[in-house]
Amino acid sequence: MNRALPEMLNCMNAPGTFLAGNSTDMTVLERQRARMKWHQHEHNDPIQLHQQQQGYNFSGNELSGVFPVPIPAGQAQGFMGLVCGDSEVKPDPCSENRWAELGYGSCGLVVNNNGAAGFEEMINGHNNNGNISRTFSCPPTVAAEKKSNDAVLSQKISSPAGKESFKKRKADKVQSNKAVAAEDDSTEKRMKGCAEEGDSKITEQTSNKNNTNNDRESSGDTSKDNSKASEVQKPDYIHVRARRGQATDSHSLAERVSRTRGVSDFYKSLSLLLQIILFNCLCQCLIVIIQVRREKISERMKYLQDLVPGCNKITGKAGMLDEIINYVQSLQRQVEFLSMKLAAVNPRLDFNIDDLFAKEMFPACAANFQTIGMTSEMTNSAYVQFNPVQQMVSSCGLDMGINSSDLALRRTISAPVSIPETFLDTSCFTQAPPTAIWDADLQNLFNVEFQQGRTTPFQSQPFTGSIEASNLKMEM
Amino acid sequence: MASTLISTPITNSDRARDSSRRKKKKKIQAKQDHHQQQEAQSHTKWKSEAQQQLYSSKLLQALSQVSINPPNTANTNTNPSSSSPPRRGRAVREAADRVLAVAAKGRTRWSRAILTSRLKIKFRQHKRQRSAAASSGTGSTRPRKPKFSVYRLKGKGLPAVQKKVRVLGRLVPGCRKQPLPVILEEATDYIAALEMQVRAMSRLAQLLSGSTSGAAGST
Repeated sequence: MNRALPEMLNCMNAPGTFLAGNSTDMTVLERQRARMKWHQHEHNDPIQLHQQQQGYNFSGNELSGVFPVPIPAGQAQGFMGLVCGDSEVKPDPCSENRWAELGYGSCGLVVNNNGAAGFEEMINGHNNNGNISRTFSCPPTVAAEKKSNDAVLSQKISSPAGKESFKKRKADKVQSNKAVAAEDDSTEKRMKGCAEEGDSKITEQTSNKNNTNNDRESSGDTSKDNSKASEVQKPDYIHVRARRGQATDSHSLAERVSRTRGVSDFYKSLSLLLQIILFNCLCQCLIVIIQVRREKISERMKYLQDLVPGCNKITGKAGMLDEIINYVQSLQRQVEFLSMKLAAVNPRLDFNIDDLFAKEMFPACAANFQTIGMTSEMTNSAYVQFNPVQQMVSSCGLDMGINSSDLALRRTISAPVSIPETFLDTSCFTQAPPTAIWDADLQNLFNVEFQQGRTTPFQSQPFTGSIEASNLKMEM
Repeated sequence: MASTLISTPITNSDRARDSSRRKKKKKIQAKQDHHQQQEAQSHTKWKSEAQQQLYSSKLLQALSQVSINPPNTANTNTNPSSSSPPRRGRAVREAADRVLAVAAKGRTRWSRAILTSRLKIKFRQHKRQRSAAASSGTGSTRPRKPKFSVYRLKGKGLPAVQKKVRVLGRLVPGCRKQPLPVILEEATDYIAALEMQVRAMSRLAQLLSGSTSGAAGST
């Protein structure tokens, strides 16, 4: 890892007065002051910040030195950027400074303008280091600042392995979740919300943890010293000093820190992290679901736009929905109007064929003669209709020739209306015998696929013929 | 197009989660493709001339069987001229809608709703008769539960949009309590079918009225 250091340092080098603060020679206090200055300065000039970040120089001395675990207010910015893939990521120089002090000697800052991509890279970079756990604190004030969307900036902090990662495993899990979370720019807000919520949760807990450490004025009594590690009482820091000859890899550091802080704290933070992970999972699922749903809706709205005339100009759900509603209502009204018209044109539609047919079979069919005659005309037209349908010939299935036959029927049928009932009896009787003759025709008709109820019209077909014949006879 | 929209966010995510999510997306994509095909098919289906002819023929069939008398009194009342035009018109309309639903082959919600609505009405009538016969004491029907509209400022957005979605849901048969994407899909098919219905019925009315006027003129 140390090999990477000089390379990173070389590429990252840029003039910056703040770099001086990275040397271990400076006391922590001085470093903090420098950070505060930097912090304020950067708030005023984000562009400068951008450049200056790139100029960070991380001293290699940090490896053997102090591994502070900062939980500062300023760091929350950096964290927010990390978590959210935020558009407005102003990585706090303080935080970066701290990263440096944490021993990320070879940390390289790659400022990435693509939130999602940069986020992923950052996550991958973080897989090596485990020091994300401590930085979850995010005071609500800083979280509130993050709500504005500006140019996308994200940090990529890659650190060499072997830096302090006393919670490496947890951090890895979190990283993987974070990687999954940052997918889309459109989900930034939600991510922010989730992260902020998560952060605010953690803030309380971590602040409780660090209460003793956060006391800026008091000196440290809180640290549980043991022979191997000592805690420097600095606000927001957990320093684990490694003595000469001691291993400084993550595992041993983790052991040391856990020993100093106590196992219970370890588990508490572990549970916290798990909560965060779960929360993130939920958020991700929701985001995916909502995305898919939105796409479905927009796609269907496009279809409707094509269907409904005059919707090309209107954008937006409400207007489109209005147009669609109006169109459907107008279509339904048209259908209503047309059905009334059809009903008026065909006044003989109000008879039940089944009833008629049943009565026709019996000799006492006097009362239904009118109905028979009239319905037969309709059924005739219906029957005639089917032939063109079968052949798929004409445009609407009713030729003028057919109409003429209808007319003929009507003429013949209209006449019998005035016929006295005596004639009705005879005509009824004349109907009976022809039924046998027409059975052959009925067989052909039944071959056509129709619903059961619909076959009855065909049976009345023979009656039309007989009626017509009888009527013609009568007329003549 | 939708598939590309879905696939781009995946590229940057973790592999472990990718596989599971890819499976989900594949399913969703498949569904969407199916939907697209269905919708495209439905559009062309309703606009085709063959469909219209089929519909008109079936409509005539149904119209010939139309009975404006309610089922209870059908056997007793055989007077043809007793029906008032509105009742006849409604009967015609119901028949037309039924035939349209049949033409839809029951693939869409609205068609199934139309076909089952008559059964429901009959069922309710039967039920009411039975209940009325059984218990004459309790005349008042159970008071309907007041429908509370929960205003969700998020989710579907403003309540205005939500109201419109509900109105549209009520217009399209069988889609009262469906979510927005379902309603939109049903509305697409329903509008296409209604257009075809209007075309067929107008042609039919024109021809029949033309023929009757011709008959009247000739006699």
